[in-house]
Amino acid sequence: MLIASLAVPVLTLFTLALLIPLIILLRQSLLEGSSGSLTLEHYAAVIRSLAYRRALLNSVLIAFASTLLALILCFPVAVYIERSRSRYRNALAVALTIPLSLPGIVIGFFVILFFGLTGLVPQVFLLLIGERQLSFAYTFGGMLLGYLYFQIPRVVLVLRGSVSALSQDVIDVSRTLGATPWQVYLDVLLPALMPAMISAASVSLATAFGAFGTAATLSRGFRVLPLEIASSFTESFQPERAASLSIALALLTTAILLGLGQVAERAVRPGRALDTSKGGTRA
Amino acid sequence: MTHQHRGATDPVMSIGQGFTLVAVVVCLAPLPLLLVVATTANWPLGFWAGGVTLDWLRQGWEAVQPYTFFSLRLAGMVLAIDLAVGLPTAWLIARHEFTGRQALVTLINLPLAIPGIAIALALILAYPLARASGLLLLLGQVVYTLPFLVATLAPALAQPALIEREAVARTLGASAIQRLWHVTLPAIRSALLAALILVFTLSMGEFNVSFFLFTPLNKTLPVELYSAYITNRVEVAAAITAIFLLFVVPAAIAIERLGGSKIGQA
Repeated sequence: MLIASLAVPVLTLFTLALLIPLIILLRQSLLEGSSGSLTLEHYAAVIRSLAYRRALLNSVLIAFASTLLALILCFPVAVYIERSRSRYRNALAVALTIPLSLPGIVIGFFVILFFGLTGLVPQVFLLLIGERQLSFAYTFGGMLLGYLYFQIPRVVLVLRGSVSALSQDVIDVSRTLGATPWQVYLDVLLPALMPAMISAASVSLATAFGAFGTAATLSRGFRVLPLEIASSFTESFQPERAASLSIALALLTTAILLGLGQVAERAVRPGRALDTSKGGTRA
Repeated sequence: MTHQHRGATDPVMSIGQGFTLVAVVVCLAPLPLLLVVATTANWPLGFWAGGVTLDWLRQGWEAVQPYTFFSLRLAGMVLAIDLAVGLPTAWLIARHEFTGRQALVTLINLPLAIPGIAIALALILAYPLARASGLLLLLGQVVYTLPFLVATLAPALAQPALIEREAVARTLGASAIQRLWHVTLPAIRSALLAALILVFTLSMGEFNVSFFLFTPLNKTLPVELYSAYITNRVEVAAAITAIFLLFVVPAAIAIERLGGSKIGQA
Protein backbone atom coordinates (compact mmCIF):
# COMPACT_ATOMS: atom_id res chain seq x y z
CA MET A 1 0.00 0.00 0.00
CA LEU A 2 2.83 2.32 1.00
CA ILE A 3 4.71 1.36 -2.13
CA ALA A 4 1.74 2.07 -4.41
CA SER A 5 1.63 5.60 -3.01
CA LEU A 6 4.96 6.29 -4.73
CA ALA A 7 3.07 6.41 -8.04
CA VAL A 8 0.67 9.08 -6.77
CA PRO A 9 2.82 12.15 -7.61
CA VAL A 10 3.58 11.07 -11.17
CA LEU A 11 0.01 9.96 -11.84
CA THR A 12 -1.40 13.24 -10.51
CA LEU A 13 1.08 15.31 -12.50
CA PHE A 14 0.65 13.43 -15.77
CA THR A 15 -3.14 13.35 -15.45
CA LEU A 16 -3.34 17.11 -14.90
CA ALA A 17 -0.54 18.23 -17.21
CA LEU A 18 -0.79 15.69 -20.03
CA LEU A 19 -3.85 13.43 -20.18
CA ILE A 20 -6.57 16.01 -19.43
CA PRO A 21 -5.03 18.59 -21.81
CA LEU A 22 -4.74 15.95 -24.57
CA ILE A 23 -8.38 14.94 -24.09
CA ILE A 24 -9.38 18.61 -24.30
CA LEU A 25 -7.27 18.97 -27.44
CA LEU A 26 -9.05 15.97 -28.98
CA ARG A 27 -12.46 17.31 -27.94
CA GLN A 28 -11.65 20.73 -29.40
CA SER A 29 -10.79 19.11 -32.74
CA LEU A 30 -14.20 17.41 -32.80
CA LEU A 31 -16.38 20.36 -31.76
CA GLU A 32 -18.64 22.29 -34.06
CA GLY A 33 -17.80 25.98 -33.74
CA SER A 34 -21.11 27.52 -32.58
CA SER A 35 -23.53 24.74 -31.66
CA GLY A 36 -21.09 22.69 -29.57
CA SER A 37 -22.08 19.39 -31.20
CA LEU A 38 -19.55 16.82 -32.35
CA THR A 39 -18.30 16.95 -35.94
CA LEU A 40 -15.52 15.65 -38.15
CA GLU A 41 -15.69 18.87 -40.16
CA HIS A 42 -12.27 20.16 -39.02
CA TYR A 43 -10.61 16.96 -40.18
CA ALA A 44 -12.50 17.05 -43.48
CA ALA A 45 -11.35 20.64 -43.95
CA VAL A 46 -7.75 19.59 -43.33
CA ILE A 47 -8.01 16.80 -45.91
CA ARG A 48 -9.72 19.08 -48.46
CA SER A 49 -7.10 21.81 -48.13
CA LEU A 50 -4.42 21.74 -50.81
CA ALA A 51 -2.00 23.64 -48.52
CA TYR A 52 -2.33 21.07 -45.71
CA ARG A 53 -2.00 18.13 -48.09
CA ARG A 54 1.17 19.72 -49.44
CA ALA A 55 2.51 20.32 -45.90
CA LEU A 56 1.81 16.68 -45.07
CA LEU A 57 3.63 15.52 -48.19
CA ASN A 58 6.55 17.87 -47.41
CA SER A 59 6.78 16.51 -43.86
CA VAL A 60 6.89 12.93 -45.15
CA LEU A 61 9.43 13.85 -47.83
CA ILE A 62 11.91 15.66 -45.58
CA ALA A 63 11.54 13.12 -42.76
CA PHE A 64 12.31 10.13 -45.00
CA ALA A 65 15.07 11.87 -47.01
CA SER A 66 16.92 13.08 -43.91
CA THR A 67 16.49 9.72 -42.17
CA LEU A 68 17.94 7.86 -45.16
CA LEU A 69 20.95 10.20 -45.26
CA ALA A 70 21.46 9.90 -41.49
CA LEU A 71 21.39 6.08 -41.64
CA ILE A 72 23.92 5.95 -44.50
CA LEU A 73 26.28 8.38 -42.76
CA CYS A 74 25.97 7.01 -39.23
CA PHE A 75 26.11 3.25 -39.84
CA PRO A 76 29.91 3.15 -40.43
CA VAL A 77 30.32 5.80 -37.72
CA ALA A 78 28.70 3.57 -35.07
CA VAL A 79 30.89 0.62 -36.16
CA TYR A 80 34.03 2.75 -35.88
CA ILE A 81 33.17 4.34 -32.51
CA GLU A 82 32.41 0.96 -30.90
CA ARG A 83 35.16 -1.12 -32.57
CA SER A 84 38.10 1.23 -32.89
CA ARG A 85 40.93 1.28 -30.36
CA SER A 86 41.85 4.82 -31.26
CA ARG A 87 42.89 7.18 -28.48
CA TYR A 88 40.48 9.75 -29.89
CA ARG A 89 37.49 7.43 -29.71
CA ASN A 90 35.98 9.07 -26.63
CA ALA A 91 36.53 12.58 -27.92
CA LEU A 92 34.84 11.65 -31.20
CA ALA A 93 31.91 10.13 -29.31
CA VAL A 94 31.51 13.33 -27.27
CA ALA A 95 31.67 15.50 -30.41
CA LEU A 96 28.90 13.44 -31.99
CA THR A 97 26.54 13.94 -29.03
CA ILE A 98 26.79 17.76 -29.06
CA PRO A 99 23.87 18.32 -31.50
CA LEU A 100 21.63 16.47 -29.02
CA SER A 101 21.77 19.41 -26.61
CA LEU A 102 20.98 22.06 -29.23
CA PRO A 103 17.45 23.33 -29.86
CA GLY A 104 16.23 23.13 -33.45
CA ILE A 105 16.36 26.90 -33.89
CA VAL A 106 20.10 26.97 -33.16
CA ILE A 107 20.64 24.20 -35.73
CA GLY A 108 18.68 26.26 -38.25
CA PHE A 109 20.92 29.24 -37.46
CA PHE A 110 24.02 27.09 -38.06
CA VAL A 111 22.73 26.34 -41.56
CA ILE A 112 22.24 30.10 -42.10
CA LEU A 113 25.82 30.78 -40.94
CA PHE A 114 27.15 28.43 -43.64
CA PHE A 115 24.63 28.70 -46.47
CA GLY A 116 22.63 31.88 -45.81
CA LEU A 117 22.87 34.91 -48.08
CA THR A 118 25.95 36.15 -46.21
CA GLY A 119 26.95 32.66 -45.09
CA LEU A 120 30.50 31.34 -45.10
CA VAL A 121 30.23 29.27 -48.30
CA PRO A 122 28.65 32.02 -50.48
CA GLN A 123 31.24 34.47 -49.08
CA VAL A 124 34.09 32.17 -50.10
CA PHE A 125 32.56 31.83 -53.58
CA LEU A 126 32.34 35.62 -53.78
CA LEU A 127 36.05 35.87 -53.04
CA LEU A 128 37.04 33.13 -55.48
CA ILE A 129 34.77 33.63 -58.52
CA GLY A 130 33.22 37.02 -57.83
CA GLU A 131 29.66 35.83 -57.22
CA ARG A 132 27.75 34.18 -54.38
CA GLN A 133 26.97 30.50 -54.88
CA LEU A 134 25.25 27.81 -52.81
CA SER A 135 23.20 30.15 -50.63
CA PHE A 136 20.51 27.49 -50.20
CA ALA A 137 19.85 27.83 -46.43
CA TYR A 138 16.21 28.81 -46.88
CA THR A 139 15.35 26.07 -49.38
CA PHE A 140 14.59 22.36 -49.06
CA GLY A 141 18.35 21.65 -49.19
CA GLY A 142 19.06 23.86 -46.20
CA MET A 143 16.26 22.32 -44.16
CA LEU A 144 17.45 18.83 -45.12
CA LEU A 145 20.92 19.66 -43.81
CA GLY A 146 19.45 20.98 -40.54
CA TYR A 147 17.32 17.86 -40.07
CA LEU A 148 20.33 15.64 -40.80
CA TYR A 149 22.32 17.54 -38.16
CA PHE A 150 19.92 16.79 -35.32
CA GLN A 151 19.47 13.18 -36.44
CA ILE A 152 23.19 12.27 -36.44
CA PRO A 153 23.56 11.87 -32.64
CA ARG A 154 20.21 10.10 -32.26
CA VAL A 155 20.96 7.53 -34.97
CA VAL A 156 24.55 7.02 -33.78
CA LEU A 157 23.37 6.39 -30.19
CA VAL A 158 20.83 3.74 -31.20
CA LEU A 159 23.25 1.98 -33.59
CA ARG A 160 26.17 2.05 -31.12
CA GLY A 161 24.20 -0.01 -28.62
CA SER A 162 23.73 -2.81 -31.16
CA VAL A 163 27.25 -2.68 -32.58
CA SER A 164 28.71 -3.14 -29.10
CA ALA A 165 26.63 -6.30 -28.70
CA LEU A 166 27.95 -7.70 -31.98
CA SER A 167 30.76 -10.26 -31.90
CA GLN A 168 34.09 -9.15 -33.39
CA ASP A 169 34.31 -12.67 -34.90
CA VAL A 170 31.61 -11.72 -37.42
CA ILE A 171 33.96 -9.17 -38.98
CA ASP A 172 37.11 -11.28 -38.59
CA VAL A 173 35.59 -14.41 -40.13
CA SER A 174 34.18 -12.58 -43.13
CA ARG A 175 37.54 -10.87 -43.67
CA THR A 176 39.32 -14.23 -43.49
CA LEU A 177 36.88 -15.62 -46.05
CA GLY A 178 37.94 -12.84 -48.42
CA ALA A 179 35.15 -10.27 -48.13
CA THR A 180 36.13 -6.77 -49.25
CA PRO A 181 35.68 -3.97 -46.67
CA TRP A 182 32.55 -2.70 -48.42
CA GLN A 183 31.17 -6.26 -48.51
CA VAL A 184 31.77 -6.48 -44.76
CA TYR A 185 29.60 -3.40 -44.30
CA LEU A 186 26.84 -4.24 -46.78
CA ASP A 187 26.64 -8.06 -46.66
CA VAL A 188 27.71 -8.80 -43.08
CA LEU A 189 27.18 -5.83 -40.76
CA LEU A 190 24.08 -4.32 -42.36
CA PRO A 191 21.96 -7.50 -42.08
CA ALA A 192 23.24 -8.09 -38.53
CA LEU A 193 22.30 -4.55 -37.52
CA MET A 194 18.98 -4.44 -39.39
CA PRO A 195 16.78 -4.35 -36.26
CA ALA A 196 18.86 -1.48 -34.89
CA MET A 197 18.69 0.32 -38.24
CA ILE A 198 14.89 0.11 -38.16
CA SER A 199 14.85 1.26 -34.56
CA ALA A 200 17.14 4.19 -35.44
CA ALA A 201 14.91 5.03 -38.40
CA SER A 202 11.89 5.18 -36.07
CA VAL A 203 13.62 7.60 -33.71
CA SER A 204 14.81 9.68 -36.63
CA LEU A 205 11.41 9.82 -38.37
CA ALA A 206 9.52 10.65 -35.18
CA THR A 207 11.99 13.44 -34.43
CA ALA A 208 11.67 14.83 -37.95
CA PHE A 209 7.85 14.81 -37.92
CA GLY A 210 7.72 16.75 -34.67
CA ALA A 211 10.60 19.13 -35.50
CA PHE A 212 9.47 22.71 -35.27
CA GLY A 213 12.45 24.95 -34.44
CA THR A 214 14.63 24.12 -37.44
CA ALA A 215 11.72 24.53 -39.84
CA ALA A 216 10.59 27.78 -38.19
CA THR A 217 14.06 29.27 -38.60
CA LEU A 218 14.72 28.10 -42.17
CA SER A 219 11.41 27.69 -43.97
CA ARG A 220 10.60 30.27 -46.64
CA GLY A 221 7.86 28.48 -48.53
CA PHE A 222 8.67 24.82 -47.87
CA ARG A 223 5.91 24.33 -45.31
CA VAL A 224 5.81 21.31 -42.99
CA LEU A 225 2.95 20.25 -40.69
CA PRO A 226 4.33 21.69 -37.41
CA LEU A 227 4.58 25.11 -39.11
CA GLU A 228 0.95 24.89 -40.24
CA ILE A 229 -0.12 23.97 -36.69
CA ALA A 230 1.79 26.94 -35.30
CA SER A 231 0.42 29.44 -37.79
CA SER A 232 -3.16 28.22 -37.51
CA PHE A 233 -2.91 28.90 -33.79
CA THR A 234 -0.79 32.04 -33.50
CA GLU A 235 -1.57 33.85 -36.77
CA SER A 236 -5.18 33.04 -37.59
CA PHE A 237 -6.22 31.87 -34.10
CA GLN A 238 -8.18 28.79 -35.12
CA PRO A 239 -7.59 26.48 -32.13
CA GLU A 240 -9.89 23.79 -33.50
CA ARG A 241 -7.93 23.75 -36.78
CA ALA A 242 -4.62 23.65 -34.88
CA ALA A 243 -6.02 20.87 -32.69
CA SER A 244 -7.11 18.69 -35.59
CA LEU A 245 -3.76 19.21 -37.34
CA SER A 246 -1.92 18.25 -34.13
CA ILE A 247 -3.97 15.09 -33.76
CA ALA A 248 -3.36 14.27 -37.43
CA LEU A 249 0.40 14.75 -36.94
CA ALA A 250 0.44 12.60 -33.80
CA LEU A 251 -1.57 9.87 -35.57
CA LEU A 252 0.71 9.96 -38.61
CA THR A 253 3.83 9.67 -36.44
CA THR A 254 2.32 6.82 -34.42
CA ALA A 255 1.18 4.98 -37.57
CA ILE A 256 4.66 5.12 -39.10
CA LEU A 257 6.26 3.99 -35.86
CA LEU A 258 3.82 1.07 -35.58
CA GLY A 259 4.43 0.16 -39.22
CA LEU A 260 8.19 0.11 -38.68
CA GLY A 261 7.62 -1.86 -35.49
CA GLN A 262 5.89 -4.54 -37.59
CA VAL A 263 8.83 -4.60 -40.01
CA ALA A 264 11.24 -4.94 -37.10
CA GLU A 265 9.21 -7.80 -35.60
CA ARG A 266 9.62 -9.65 -38.86
CA ALA A 267 13.34 -8.83 -39.03
CA VAL A 268 14.00 -10.38 -35.64
CA ARG A 269 11.99 -13.57 -35.30
CA PRO A 270 11.76 -13.79 -31.49
CA GLY A 271 10.42 -10.24 -31.70
CA ARG A 272 11.89 -7.96 -29.11
CA ALA A 273 9.55 -4.99 -28.89
CA LEU A 274 10.78 -1.99 -30.82
CA ASP A 275 11.90 0.75 -28.50
CA THR A 276 10.87 3.83 -30.39
CA SER A 277 11.82 6.29 -27.71
CA LYS A 278 15.55 5.57 -27.56
CA GLY A 279 17.69 8.63 -27.88
CA GLY A 280 14.83 11.05 -27.50
CA THR A 281 12.65 12.32 -30.26
CA ARG A 282 12.75 16.06 -29.89
CA ALA A 283 14.50 18.68 -31.91
CA MET B 1 45.11 -12.97 -34.51
CA THR B 2 41.71 -11.49 -33.89
CA HIS B 3 43.21 -8.21 -32.82
CA GLN B 4 45.25 -7.43 -35.89
CA HIS B 5 42.21 -6.29 -37.84
CA ARG B 6 41.27 -3.70 -35.26
CA GLY B 7 44.15 -1.33 -35.92
CA ALA B 8 43.89 1.84 -37.95
CA THR B 9 45.24 -0.05 -40.99
CA ASP B 10 42.25 -2.38 -41.16
CA PRO B 11 40.32 -1.22 -44.25
CA VAL B 12 36.96 -1.88 -42.57
CA MET B 13 37.97 0.51 -39.80
CA SER B 14 39.39 2.99 -42.32
CA ILE B 15 36.00 3.31 -43.97
CA GLY B 16 34.41 3.79 -40.57
CA GLN B 17 37.04 6.37 -39.70
CA GLY B 18 36.35 8.32 -42.89
CA PHE B 19 32.61 8.48 -42.23
CA THR B 20 33.25 9.38 -38.58
CA LEU B 21 35.50 12.27 -39.55
CA VAL B 22 32.83 13.62 -41.91
CA ALA B 23 30.16 13.37 -39.18
CA VAL B 24 32.40 14.99 -36.55
CA VAL B 25 33.34 17.85 -38.89
CA VAL B 26 29.63 18.43 -39.63
CA CYS B 27 28.81 18.44 -35.90
CA LEU B 28 31.66 20.69 -34.79
CA ALA B 29 32.28 23.08 -37.70
CA PRO B 30 29.47 25.49 -36.74
CA LEU B 31 31.08 26.25 -33.35
CA PRO B 32 34.28 28.03 -34.55
CA LEU B 33 32.35 29.78 -37.33
CA LEU B 34 29.90 31.05 -34.73
CA LEU B 35 32.74 32.61 -32.74
CA VAL B 36 34.24 34.21 -35.85
CA VAL B 37 30.91 35.79 -36.85
CA ALA B 38 30.24 36.93 -33.26
CA THR B 39 33.59 38.74 -33.12
CA THR B 40 33.57 40.27 -36.63
CA ALA B 41 32.66 43.96 -36.80
CA ASN B 42 30.91 43.63 -40.17
CA TRP B 43 30.37 40.01 -41.17
CA PRO B 44 28.54 40.55 -44.50
CA LEU B 45 31.80 42.02 -45.81
CA GLY B 46 33.80 38.93 -44.87
CA PHE B 47 36.06 37.36 -42.23
CA TRP B 48 36.78 39.84 -39.45
CA ALA B 49 35.87 42.65 -41.85
CA GLY B 50 36.14 45.95 -40.00
CA GLY B 51 38.28 44.26 -37.36
CA VAL B 52 37.84 41.97 -34.39
CA THR B 53 35.36 43.22 -31.82
CA LEU B 54 33.78 42.11 -28.57
CA ASP B 55 30.98 44.66 -28.94
CA TRP B 56 28.45 42.14 -30.28
CA LEU B 57 29.10 39.75 -27.39
CA ARG B 58 28.71 42.60 -24.89
CA GLN B 59 25.59 43.89 -26.62
CA GLY B 60 24.20 40.34 -26.88
CA TRP B 61 24.80 39.62 -23.20
CA GLU B 62 23.01 42.82 -22.19
CA ALA B 63 20.08 41.90 -24.42
CA VAL B 64 19.67 38.32 -23.16
CA GLN B 65 20.72 38.69 -19.52
CA PRO B 66 17.17 38.81 -18.08
CA TYR B 67 16.06 35.85 -20.23
CA THR B 68 19.16 33.87 -19.23
CA PHE B 69 18.37 34.32 -15.55
CA PHE B 70 14.73 33.46 -16.16
CA SER B 71 15.76 30.28 -18.01
CA LEU B 72 18.15 29.33 -15.19
CA ARG B 73 15.44 29.85 -12.56
CA LEU B 74 12.95 27.86 -14.63
CA ALA B 75 15.48 25.03 -15.11
CA GLY B 76 16.01 25.00 -11.33
CA MET B 77 12.28 24.62 -10.68
CA VAL B 78 11.95 21.94 -13.37
CA LEU B 79 14.84 20.06 -11.75
CA ALA B 80 13.26 20.21 -8.31
CA ILE B 81 9.87 18.94 -9.49
CA ASP B 82 11.40 16.29 -11.77
CA LEU B 83 13.47 14.97 -8.90
CA ALA B 84 10.62 14.95 -6.39
CA VAL B 85 8.29 13.17 -8.81
CA GLY B 86 10.79 11.17 -10.87
CA LEU B 87 12.95 9.57 -8.19
CA PRO B 88 10.07 7.68 -6.50
CA THR B 89 8.72 6.74 -9.93
CA ALA B 90 12.09 5.39 -11.11
CA TRP B 91 12.42 3.42 -7.87
CA LEU B 92 8.95 1.95 -8.30
CA ILE B 93 9.63 0.93 -11.90
CA ALA B 94 13.09 -0.47 -11.13
CA ARG B 95 12.18 -2.46 -8.02
CA HIS B 96 8.61 -3.62 -8.26
CA GLU B 97 6.44 -5.82 -10.44
CA PHE B 98 2.82 -4.76 -10.23
CA THR B 99 -0.31 -4.68 -12.35
CA GLY B 100 -0.23 -1.62 -14.55
CA ARG B 101 3.57 -1.30 -14.44
CA GLN B 102 3.79 -1.40 -18.23
CA ALA B 103 0.96 1.13 -18.46
CA LEU B 104 2.86 3.44 -16.11
CA VAL B 105 6.03 3.15 -18.24
CA THR B 106 4.00 3.90 -21.37
CA LEU B 107 2.38 6.91 -19.72
CA ILE B 108 5.74 8.35 -18.66
CA ASN B 109 7.15 7.90 -22.17
CA LEU B 110 4.05 9.34 -23.84
CA PRO B 111 5.47 12.90 -24.11
CA LEU B 112 8.27 11.53 -26.33
CA ALA B 113 5.79 10.36 -28.95
CA ILE B 114 3.75 13.57 -29.08
CA PRO B 115 5.13 16.65 -30.86
CA GLY B 116 6.05 19.41 -28.38
CA ILE B 117 3.77 21.94 -30.04
CA ALA B 118 0.80 19.59 -29.54
CA ILE B 119 1.58 19.34 -25.80
CA ALA B 120 1.86 23.13 -25.57
CA LEU B 121 -1.37 23.65 -27.49
CA ALA B 122 -3.20 21.11 -25.30
CA LEU B 123 -2.02 22.88 -22.14
CA ILE B 124 -3.19 26.30 -23.42
CA LEU B 125 -6.59 24.95 -24.41
CA ALA B 126 -7.02 23.16 -21.07
CA TYR B 127 -5.90 25.97 -18.76
CA PRO B 128 -6.11 29.28 -20.66
CA LEU B 129 -6.11 31.34 -17.46
CA ALA B 130 -2.92 29.79 -16.06
CA ARG B 131 -0.79 30.88 -18.99
CA ALA B 132 0.00 34.37 -17.72
CA SER B 133 1.47 33.04 -14.46
CA GLY B 134 4.10 30.97 -16.29
CA LEU B 135 2.73 27.82 -14.64
CA LEU B 136 2.01 26.20 -18.02
CA LEU B 137 5.59 26.79 -19.12
CA LEU B 138 6.79 24.98 -15.99
CA LEU B 139 4.31 22.09 -16.42
CA GLY B 140 5.12 21.70 -20.12
CA GLN B 141 8.85 21.47 -19.45
CA VAL B 142 8.37 19.06 -16.53
CA VAL B 143 6.23 16.72 -18.64
CA TYR B 144 8.76 16.90 -21.46
CA THR B 145 11.89 16.27 -19.33
CA LEU B 146 10.58 13.70 -16.83
CA PRO B 147 10.83 10.67 -19.20
CA PHE B 148 14.57 11.31 -19.59
CA LEU B 149 15.15 11.53 -15.83
CA VAL B 150 13.24 8.31 -15.13
CA ALA B 151 14.95 6.48 -17.99
CA THR B 152 18.39 7.42 -16.66
CA LEU B 153 17.65 6.62 -13.00
CA ALA B 154 15.62 3.39 -13.33
CA PRO B 155 18.46 1.22 -14.75
CA ALA B 156 20.86 2.47 -12.06
CA LEU B 157 18.34 1.62 -9.33
CA ALA B 158 17.75 -1.83 -10.82
CA GLN B 159 21.38 -3.02 -10.52
CA PRO B 160 21.34 -6.40 -8.70
CA ALA B 161 24.55 -5.55 -6.80
CA LEU B 162 22.92 -2.47 -5.30
CA ILE B 163 19.79 -4.38 -4.28
CA GLU B 164 22.00 -6.95 -2.59
CA ARG B 165 23.95 -4.30 -0.69
CA GLU B 166 20.72 -2.69 0.51
CA ALA B 167 19.55 -6.09 1.75
CA VAL B 168 22.83 -6.56 3.62
CA ALA B 169 22.50 -3.09 5.19
CA ARG B 170 18.97 -3.99 6.23
CA THR B 171 20.02 -7.21 7.95
CA LEU B 172 22.72 -5.22 9.73
CA GLY B 173 19.96 -3.03 11.14
CA ALA B 174 20.15 0.10 8.96
CA SER B 175 16.91 2.07 8.81
CA ALA B 176 15.23 2.96 5.52
CA ILE B 177 16.61 6.51 5.67
CA GLN B 178 20.11 5.25 6.48
CA ARG B 179 19.96 2.77 3.59
CA LEU B 180 18.83 5.47 1.19
CA TRP B 181 21.49 7.95 2.33
CA HIS B 182 24.49 5.65 2.85
CA VAL B 183 23.88 2.86 0.33
CA THR B 184 21.45 3.78 -2.45
CA LEU B 185 22.33 7.41 -3.22
CA PRO B 186 26.13 6.88 -3.32
CA ALA B 187 25.64 3.91 -5.65
CA ILE B 188 23.52 5.83 -8.16
CA ARG B 189 25.52 9.05 -7.78
CA SER B 190 26.80 9.30 -11.34
CA ALA B 191 23.47 8.33 -12.91
CA LEU B 192 21.75 10.88 -10.69
CA LEU B 193 24.23 13.60 -11.64
CA ALA B 194 23.91 12.74 -15.33
CA ALA B 195 20.11 12.81 -15.07
CA LEU B 196 20.15 16.21 -13.38
CA ILE B 197 22.52 17.71 -15.96
CA LEU B 198 20.42 16.19 -18.74
CA VAL B 199 17.20 17.73 -17.40
CA PHE B 200 18.98 21.06 -16.95
CA THR B 201 20.27 21.00 -20.55
CA LEU B 202 16.90 19.98 -21.97
CA SER B 203 15.13 22.71 -20.03
CA MET B 204 17.64 25.41 -21.02
CA GLY B 205 17.34 24.46 -24.70
CA GLU B 206 13.62 23.69 -24.89
CA PHE B 207 11.89 25.67 -27.64
CA ASN B 208 8.91 23.76 -29.09
CA VAL B 209 6.85 23.85 -25.88
CA SER B 210 8.15 27.23 -24.65
CA PHE B 211 7.46 29.06 -27.90
CA PHE B 212 3.71 28.67 -27.36
CA LEU B 213 3.63 29.03 -23.59
CA PHE B 214 5.87 32.04 -22.99
CA THR B 215 4.53 35.45 -22.00
CA PRO B 216 6.41 38.78 -22.07
CA LEU B 217 7.17 38.33 -18.38
CA ASN B 218 8.04 34.66 -18.68
CA LYS B 219 10.30 34.46 -21.69
CA THR B 220 13.03 31.84 -22.03
CA LEU B 221 16.45 32.23 -23.61
CA PRO B 222 15.69 30.06 -26.70
CA VAL B 223 12.53 32.10 -27.41
CA GLU B 224 14.64 35.27 -27.29
CA LEU B 225 17.24 33.56 -29.53
CA TYR B 226 14.54 32.88 -32.09
CA SER B 227 13.46 36.50 -32.22
CA ALA B 228 17.12 37.51 -32.62
CA TYR B 229 17.37 35.15 -35.63
CA ILE B 230 14.32 36.72 -37.20
CA THR B 231 14.98 40.38 -36.47
CA ASN B 232 18.56 41.06 -35.38
CA ARG B 233 21.76 41.37 -37.42
CA VAL B 234 23.68 38.15 -37.91
CA GLU B 235 26.63 39.14 -35.67
CA VAL B 236 24.35 39.78 -32.67
CA ALA B 237 22.43 36.57 -33.32
CA ALA B 238 25.77 34.70 -33.40
CA ALA B 239 26.92 36.39 -30.18
CA ILE B 240 23.72 35.45 -28.33
CA THR B 241 23.96 31.89 -29.63
CA ALA B 242 27.57 31.65 -28.41
CA ILE B 243 26.44 32.82 -24.94
CA PHE B 244 23.64 30.24 -24.96
CA LEU B 245 26.07 27.46 -25.93
CA LEU B 246 28.20 28.26 -22.88
CA PHE B 247 25.33 26.91 -20.79
CA VAL B 248 24.52 23.74 -22.74
CA VAL B 249 27.66 22.41 -24.44
CA PRO B 250 29.76 21.86 -21.29
CA ALA B 251 26.74 20.08 -19.78
CA ALA B 252 26.45 17.85 -22.85
CA ILE B 253 30.12 16.90 -22.58
CA ALA B 254 29.72 16.13 -18.88
CA ILE B 255 26.78 13.81 -19.62
CA GLU B 256 28.78 11.82 -22.18
CA ARG B 257 31.70 11.58 -19.69
CA LEU B 258 29.38 10.34 -16.93
CA GLY B 259 27.74 7.55 -18.79
CA GLY B 260 28.30 7.63 -22.52
CA SER B 261 25.62 6.22 -24.74
CA LYS B 262 23.66 4.78 -21.80
CA ILE B 263 22.43 8.13 -20.52
CA GLY B 264 19.15 9.70 -21.46
CA GLN B 265 17.89 6.96 -23.71
CA ALA B 266 14.38 7.28 -22.45
